[in-house]
Amino acid sequence: MRKYLIAFALAVTMATPAFAQHLNLDFPGLAERAEEVVDITLDADMLRMAARFFGNKTADDRALRDMINGLEGIYVRSFTFTKEGEYDRGLADRVRTQLGSTWKPLVTVKSKSKENVNILADMRGDKIMGLVIISAEPREFTVVSIVGPVDIERLSALEGQFGIPRVTTGGKDNDRD
Amino acid sequence: MSLDHDLKNALRRQAPPAGFADRVLAHIEREEARKTPLRPFWWRAAAASVLLVLLGGGYAAHEIAQQREGERARAQVLQALQIAGEKVRYAQQEVREIGSHD
Repeated sequence: MRKYLIAFALAVTMATPAFAQHLNLDFPGLAERAEEVVDITLDADMLRMAARFFGNKTADDRALRDMINGLEGIYVRSFTFTKEGEYDRGLADRVRTQLGSTWKPLVTVKSKSKENVNILADMRGDKIMGLVIISAEPREFTVVSIVGPVDIERLSALEGQFGIPRVTTGGKDNDRD
Repeated sequence: MSLDHDLKNALRRQAPPAGFADRVLAHIEREEARKTPLRPFWWRAAAASVLLVLLGGGYAAHEIAQQREGERARAQVLQALQIAGEKVRYAQQEVREIGSHD
């Protein structure tokens, strides 16, 4: 019986799509030091539920709803501090090191005085199967993980709606190192 | 003569078997218990109404909870996309600035 249970557990684990494996976004002690914390965890079931509450009247509504329906999860951890140096800037590396070989940097912005932003995509062929945004400011640390197929074109079609910007995929190297 | 004899023989007084009276009384008690009259119609109608109201109320409460949870999830999706959008916008601006200097 135990043998069958182990085999079943293995089968379930292996059947889980690679993009469904999400990051460990647990940062112990950070929330206690932060002045403001945004903690959003939306798994596939919650996203399906949320999608039902998006309208169907305009093309933007439908596009957003379709995009959300295709996702496996959205996770946001954002910590705002009252003064600088309240968190270890190495946290960004801790998130990056969790990403596998399929993850490619789309945009890297490094600044000594302002915000460091890393946008990484889980590339499967020409498809983006996940997006991670890591933002490290002097007084703010934010990680956004979008799990599942992200249609950049669809995302860009949502410009102006709900504060979502136009995202372009240029052929040239966007890194600013 | 023979008929008269047969009748007397058939109808002669006989003592009941042991425990007969107890069994009869127990049977009567069981029958009495079984024959408890049904509640009146109005009582059953009232009970059914209460049950319906409870079921309806439970369903409505469940729907309201689902609605609230869905709206909360929708607000969280929008907040998450706004945060993501803000970061992407900043990165784009920085990239554009670099591009304009080239």
